[in-house]
Order: sequence, then structure tokens, then C-alpha cells
Amino acid sequence: MTDRVHDIVKDMDPRSVESVTQALDKAKLLEDLTLDEKTCLAEAFFEVFNHAHHTHSSSMPKVAVRAGKRIAKFGPELIPLLFRHLVESDSETAVYYGKALARNGNVGLAYLVPKLNEYREKDHDLINLIQALSYFKIPEASATVPFVLSVSQHVNHQVTSMALYTAGRLAEKLPTSAFSEELRHFIFNTSFRFLSHAQVLVRKNAARTLGKMMRRGLLSEEDEKKVYKAFLAITGRDDHHNWDRAFIVRREAEGFLPYFHQQSPPVRRYTQSYKIVSKRLLCTNTYHFTLDTPLIARKIEAGQFVIVRPHIFSERIPLSICNWDREKGTIDIIVSAVGKTTTEINAMMVGDSFEDVVGPLGERSVLPTASGTCVVIGGGYGTGAIIPTARDVKAMGNKVIGIVGARNKDSLIMVQELQDACTEVILTTNDGSAGIGGMVTDALREVLLREPVVYVLAIGPVPMMKAISDMTRPHHIATYVSLNAIMVDGTGMCGACRVTVGGETKFACFHGPDFDGHKVDFENLMKRQKMFVKEEKVAFERMKL
Amino acid sequence: MSEVITPTTPAPRPLSNKERMGLPHQEMPLHDAEARVKTFDEVPIGYSEEMARAEAMRCLQCKKPACIGACPVGINIPAFIKLIEQGEFGAAAKKIRETNFLPAVCGRVCPQDKQCQAVCVVGRKNIPVGIGNLERFAADYERNHHLQEIPQVGEPTGKRVAVIGSGPAGLAAAYELSIRGHEVVVFEASHRAGGVMVYGIPRFRLPLKIVDEDIRFLTRLGVRFVYNMVIGKVLTIEDLLKHEGFDAVMIGTGAGLPRMLDVPGSNANGVYSANEYLTRIYLMDAHHFPKYSTPISAGKKIGVIGAGNTAMDVMRTAKRLGAEVTCYYRRSHDEAPARSEELKHAEQEGINWRWLSNPVEFLVDENNFVQKIKCERMTLSEPDETGRRKPVPTGEFFVEDCDTVVMSLGCSVNPIIPSTDSDIHVNKWGVIVVDTETCQTSKKGVFAAGDAITGGSTVILAMGQAKKAAAGIHAYLMGQQEAVSATSTTQISG
Repeated sequence: MTDRVHDIVKDMDPRSVESVTQALDKAKLLEDLTLDEKTCLAEAFFEVFNHAHHTHSSSMPKVAVRAGKRIAKFGPELIPLLFRHLVESDSETAVYYGKALARNGNVGLAYLVPKLNEYREKDHDLINLIQALSYFKIPEASATVPFVLSVSQHVNHQVTSMALYTAGRLAEKLPTSAFSEELRHFIFNTSFRFLSHAQVLVRKNAARTLGKMMRRGLLSEEDEKKVYKAFLAITGRDDHHNWDRAFIVRREAEGFLPYFHQQSPPVRRYTQSYKIVSKRLLCTNTYHFTLDTPLIARKIEAGQFVIVRPHIFSERIPLSICNWDREKGTIDIIVSAVGKTTTEINAMMVGDSFEDVVGPLGERSVLPTASGTCVVIGGGYGTGAIIPTARDVKAMGNKVIGIVGARNKDSLIMVQELQDACTEVILTTNDGSAGIGGMVTDALREVLLREPVVYVLAIGPVPMMKAISDMTRPHHIATYVSLNAIMVDGTGMCGACRVTVGGETKFACFHGPDFDGHKVDFENLMKRQKMFVKEEKVAFERMKL
Repeated sequence: MSEVITPTTPAPRPLSNKERMGLPHQEMPLHDAEARVKTFDEVPIGYSEEMARAEAMRCLQCKKPACIGACPVGINIPAFIKLIEQGEFGAAAKKIRETNFLPAVCGRVCPQDKQCQAVCVVGRKNIPVGIGNLERFAADYERNHHLQEIPQVGEPTGKRVAVIGSGPAGLAAAYELSIRGHEVVVFEASHRAGGVMVYGIPRFRLPLKIVDEDIRFLTRLGVRFVYNMVIGKVLTIEDLLKHEGFDAVMIGTGAGLPRMLDVPGSNANGVYSANEYLTRIYLMDAHHFPKYSTPISAGKKIGVIGAGNTAMDVMRTAKRLGAEVTCYYRRSHDEAPARSEELKHAEQEGINWRWLSNPVEFLVDENNFVQKIKCERMTLSEPDETGRRKPVPTGEFFVEDCDTVVMSLGCSVNPIIPSTDSDIHVNKWGVIVVDTETCQTSKKGVFAAGDAITGGSTVILAMGQAKKAAAGIHAYLMGQQEAVSATSTTQISG
């Protein structure tokens, strides 16, 4: 090895941007290099590739690409060396080998193409090869697409997705003239097939390829329409509302939607079926329903509620939500038969539809501002309503203790779901048949003695929420309660749901339903809830006849 | 051969203005007060054809009609009255429809005595021409004879507009936009279209079938209605503009936040806002309880606070439910803001009046149900510099029994949309701020009309603003298109 090369290699630290830049500048000045010298320099720069992603400097990858360019300038003799490294390296480092190879243009391509067949059965090596193809900027590269996509029938989805990625990248970078009509159609067909039925990563890259082709104008009008329709379905913008379950596919499609040349935007009917998808008994007179309401399911947040009207003769009643599935487009409610309307709901069967479901209404739950131990307390049907908030509070990194109260062992509901959402769950029953014998306040008292608490959320009967607020007041613990006031429209129009909070009249439907428990006038709320007791009784009696 | 002389009606000699001025006013025939308070049927019977023509003859056909300027939507009043006089009732309705597509509604609920009829020249010496009654007659004639025509809709522009709220403003905007060729989707939060015309205005003033007829008319124009959609919650304005493919949004959400009296006992049981009371009955059919499950505590003795149109509606509704009704108002009869006709009808129906009475407390029983109402007697001050006489407390109090109280003190603007989109600015009363010319809000592409920008007004004013907003939206959309096709040779006029 000659000294001039040796000097450069010896002084270069592959982890330092400055050092590599200096080395590259020096290497640029060298002339008439021998193959040995070139190899020596290349091997040194390969070290840079290896470190490109492992230094803290954000300029390192750029420097690595520069090193690749330099190696490419050394000429085609180094191609076999580059290729060997390309095959052996990990996918991340392979980017630089690939880019360096692609710099060799036609010669590089000519070398690479026969190798593709050779490596056909070697999944991991093939990925890097296909990736390298995507960096070519010469029109001839488009000829490799059919082969690339033919290997995409591969069992390994990583290879398939890389093939689609490469096809998309070439469609994006190469001049449109490089793609014959036939080729365009071939890429479209393959990608479109993978768009709906394949592994998620494959589907994501299929969406990407189709999107890139659309943006380059490589799709026929008819094909573009097909892609547009498919993308609308994926993003839940068509009339089915429920979006694709895979977020990465959804996001990919979402990004391309604004660029379609469709004249008429999607015409949606915005109808929801309000159909009961499933129903199960939780305890006596209490059922868990799953409703098909895709629009509501897309937006609802912990603490918000819906207003339902089961049939045209019934009243509108507010119900809290215990879960939702944004992809399936469903919400879960718990209904405990206490009066006429709730009894009517519980008589409904899977496949029946509600007349109306309006939501999401109200504000989302107030979340703790300090981190620490948080307690969520559910009494009776309220057990379901605390689950979404508990999940959010836990996701913030807090310890969440769930306390559930019921009359006896049999009326404890949603315990498993709550356990999944909390760090710890304490059960209490009035008769002691399960967990602690007593009230939820007894459990809370123990928790307060045991550790400092920063946040309490209570949902359940008004006396329970009042007792809890009274208990936390001396400790100055942020305490929120969800007020189930009587409502009609749920949008603030009627004022039926007014509650007194901190001396001010507030509307539970849109200021709430969650309020600071220390400020709520519970006495007034309890009395207001009895406003229609007489009428409710009449209706209930009449119904039973 | 004998000549058959066909009797020909002598060509009517045009009446002189003096003769016209001397013609008697045709009183609107009403159902008897005793009978009508037992049903929810409409109170006025309506003009017969003869009466309509006789009333139409009273119009002087002024050269410079003041009435047109006094109409928020600028109906060509003399022209349609002329057509009625000539017996061209269908054509008269068509004439009104050129500027107002809800004639049957407006003929019934407009405060004509504060608008067109107030400036009527005949009114200087005589009772003004019954413009509202004539409008109502023409609209009813058209409907009963199925003469309604679907107007020519403009070339589809490919633009889509979301209208939020299906009240007067929303419906008027939907109409104006769809005949200009835009695609319109109306989002309604409730399960029924019509807004205040359904939940607020009683059936005996405005039968439901008239509202439904107008909504059906809109659907025939291609307007789509979507129910149970609380915009701001299930879809935000941002969603509509960015993701749902709408090019503009028109907010017509109205004034849906009742004001309550802040006195002891105002949150007692049996104290309703007028909105709640009327909604329970007209939207949820609470008066058919328990067939319909929505309850209302049908009181025996109802106190209504306020003396506006809504207060009249509440009182007359309560009367029909068999209650004894008393009106408490802190000013006197002459200051009552209700439409004079409503006040008159309410008086006929036997409402007790407590003018110059300001409620200061609602006394409750041990279960927090309201039992008595305590009022302070007021007196009116001398007119101040604005000419308004202020109620002044006298220090005298009185207490009366009641088991239900309905507060009808007006509404503030519904805050859901402004609170979910900070780009839409409101003033300190929560009223959405708009450009006076175009009705555009502080957010580009978002327009507003109706009570949402006035804080509580009438059907016709809401419609007038909606027309303006529709024109603003049209200009905005076509301007957009022009900007896009600036290089093309075809120019689209706004």
C-alpha cells in the first residue's frame, strides 16, 4: 500500500464528520490510483457506512452518501466489492452501498440484474439487492420493475414490500417516458392486488406505489378512479365510515388523497345504522351493548357521552360510554333497567336498531395535571364509564387504582376490563361477598392512608360522588365527578341539565359532564333528578300493564 | 234568429287612491277563543278568495313602496298584492317565491307590524294592508292547489357547501345555494329538520305540515339532510373543509342557549326554560305522555316570565294543556316585545297578566319543587336619553301560588361551534363576528347567518341574512374557481 493512501486512511476517524470530510477532500486530489489503492480507500469508507447511523451527528448520513459518491468515482472495478458488501450488510447500511452502486449507472445496473436471479431464493440478500435498484436514476432501471415485482410473489413479506417500495420509488424518480403503457398497467395491477389483501407493510407500500404513480400521472383515468375509491375506503371517507384497521396503511392513503384529480368529491350519506352488534348480560337487569355508530366511534374521547332514542315514541336519554373501537366503528354502552326507557332498551336484541344515537357530546374528562397515584371509582353502572379515563390516565404514566363498588358479588360488573385499564383494582361489596365488605369510600380511605393521591375520578350514584368529594376535600386532591343530570337535546339548547357548580349555573351537557367534585352542589342535583319521579312511575306502571 | 247576448263583466274601473283608502280592512277570521284553547289547531282560519281580493284592493300600489325596503328579504310586495287583486293567486305566490322561499311560514310568524305593515302608507290614516295575511293566503293557495314549481336550478358548479342547522337560516341558505347550482348538505343536530320552526314555534301558529312541505321542497331541489350530527363534536368545521370535501360552510346554529334568571330557586324543580318547555312538547310530544315517554310536569298554575313571542307561545301552549297561566313582566303592556297579533291572541285566550312585576325569588317545598313566586312591583322611569323607560323597583312585594315556572328571557348563541374552532371569533356576548357584506366569519370559507350572528331575532331576519350569506358564499366559491381558471378564456361571473 502506498503512503499517500495510508496517510489518509490512518488519520480518518469514521465516527467524526470533520475527519471523514477531510479524508474525502484529500482523496479527491489523488490521481492515477491503482486498484489496490482504490480498494484500500473504499474499505476505509465502508467503515463510515457502518457508523453512519450510530453517531449522534445528523450530518453523518450525508457524509456517508458523499463517501459513496467518491467510491463510485473510482470506477467500475470496485463494483464487485460494493456488491459483496451490499449483500452482506444490514438493510440500513445497504442504503449507502446501494447508492454507491447506483452511481455507476448502466454498468452498475448491468452487474446487478443478472445477480437478481442468482439470489432469488436468498430472502435477506435479495432485499438489499432490490433496495439498491431503487436508487438508480437511469431510465433503463425501469426495465427491472417486472422482475422486481415478479419476485414480489415471495413468501417473505419483507421482500414483497421492498419490491413494491422500489417500484414506487422508480415510478417517482424516473422520467415518465421510461414507463411504457404496458409497464404502467403491470405495476398498477400488481400493487392494486396487494393493496387490499396482504400483510400490512406490503399494503402500505402498495398504497405508496399507487400514490406515487398517481402523482406522476402514470395511472390511466380509470385506474386512478379505482385507486381513489380504494383510498377513500381505507381512510373511512366512503359511506362505510369505518376506516382501515392498519394505521400505517391509512396514513399512507391519507397523504395522497388531496392530490387526486377527481372532479367530484366523495358523496357521503353520513348515515349510521345504530344497530346493536352484540348484547350480553352483565348482572340482573344490566346489559352491555355494542352499537354500530362509525362516525361517533371515530371521534369519541374518554368522558364524553351519547344521547339515545330507542324508538320514535321514547324520550332522549344520555348514556355514558365504556369502550369504543374506532376501526370497527362501534361504541359500547351499559344499560341498567331503572325506568321505562332503559327497560325498553334492554328488551332490544342483536340486529335491532336504535332510532337515534347522537354524540359524542360533552367535554372529555379532565386529566390529572400532576403525576402520581390516581384513583378512579365506579359505583354500579358507573363502573363502565370510568374505564376509558382510567386507560388515558394510565397511559400518561400514572399509577391507577380502580375502586369498584356493588351491592354484592353478583352485581360487580366490568371487573376484568377495569383490571386491564388500571394498575390495581380494589373490589368492595356492601355484604362482603367479594373484596372488601363496605362502601367504595372505605376502600378510598385505606388508599389515602396508604399513599399520596393526586387525582380522583368518581362516577356513580350522586350520594357516592358526594361522599367521595367530601372525603378528598380536606386533602386538597383534585376530584372530578361525572354528573348524570336530566337532559333533552344534549347541545345546551334546553337547559334541563343545569347544575350548580361553585355557585354558578352550568349545563352538564356541554360544560360537563365532568365537574370539580369540590364545587358541585350535590343537594340540588339530587333534588333535580327527582323532578319527574311521579311521571316516570306512571310511565313505568303503564308499560308493565 | 235571436242574438244571444253573453253577459260580460264590465271592465273594472281602476279604483282611485281615495276609494282604496276608504275600503274596509278585512279582519283575519279566527277560531273562537273558547274552542281553540282545547286543541293545537291553527288559530287563524285564513282569508277566503273574496276576502283576499278585497284586502288586496286596499293596496295603493305606491310608486316608491316603503314596504319592500322594510322587508328583510325585500319581497316585491305591491307586485304580489296586485296579482292577488287580479285573481292570479298562483302567480302571486310565485312572485313571493322569487325572494322568499318560505312564504307560508313567514306569512304566519313574521312580525309584520314591525316591518312592512309598519311603513304601509295606508296605515297612516287607516289600518295598514294585511300584507302578512295576503302572503299567507297566496302561499296556502299555491300549496292547496299544488301549483308549486321546482325552480330552474343553475348549472352544477361542482362546489359543495355544508349548512349547519336546519332552521330558517339554514333552510334559506340551502335553497339559495342549491338554485345557484351548488351541492348542499344540511347537518342537523336533532332528529328532525326545521329547527325553531319545529321545536319552538307552536303548532297552532305554524302547523308542522307546512314546515315539512318546505323541507320536502328542498329535498326535491337536491338538498340532502343529515340528522343527529352535532357539528363541532362528531365532525368539526375543520373536518368538513379539509376531509369531507366541502368548499364552504354556512353556520346557522341559532341562539340555542337559554338565559335564566339568577335569583334564589331558579334551579328548583318545575322551573323550565322556555326552550325546554317547548322542546319537550313540540319536539318530543310530551303532551302525549305516556304514549310518548318524554315527561313534563303539566302544572295547574303556571307562571311565565317575560312577554316576548316565545313567552306568548309558552303561555298559549300551557293554556292548551289545561293550566291557569299568569304572565310576569317587569315592564308594562306597551313595552311587551311580542308581535301584536300574538299578544292579542293571548289576551283573547284568557291569560292573567302581571305587568310591572319582577320575580325575585321562587319559593320551594321540601322536595325543591316550586310552590310560590315572589315578585317586586316595578314602576317605569321617565324616558332616558335613548327614549326607553326603565323599570324601577318600588320596594313593594307580592307572592302568588304556582307549581311551574317557565322563563322566557331570550337566548344566547349556542357555543358548541365557536368553542371547538378557535379560528371563529365571537364577541363578548358569544355572538359570531361576521363581515357585514359577505357574512364571512373570521375563518376563511366559513360563513354564518341567523341568530348565531344576531343573538336572537326573527325567522325573516335570519332568512334575510342567510340570503346575504348565500350570496357571499357564491361569490367566494366562484372567486375560487376564477382564481383556478384565471388563465382560461372563459370567465365565470360571480
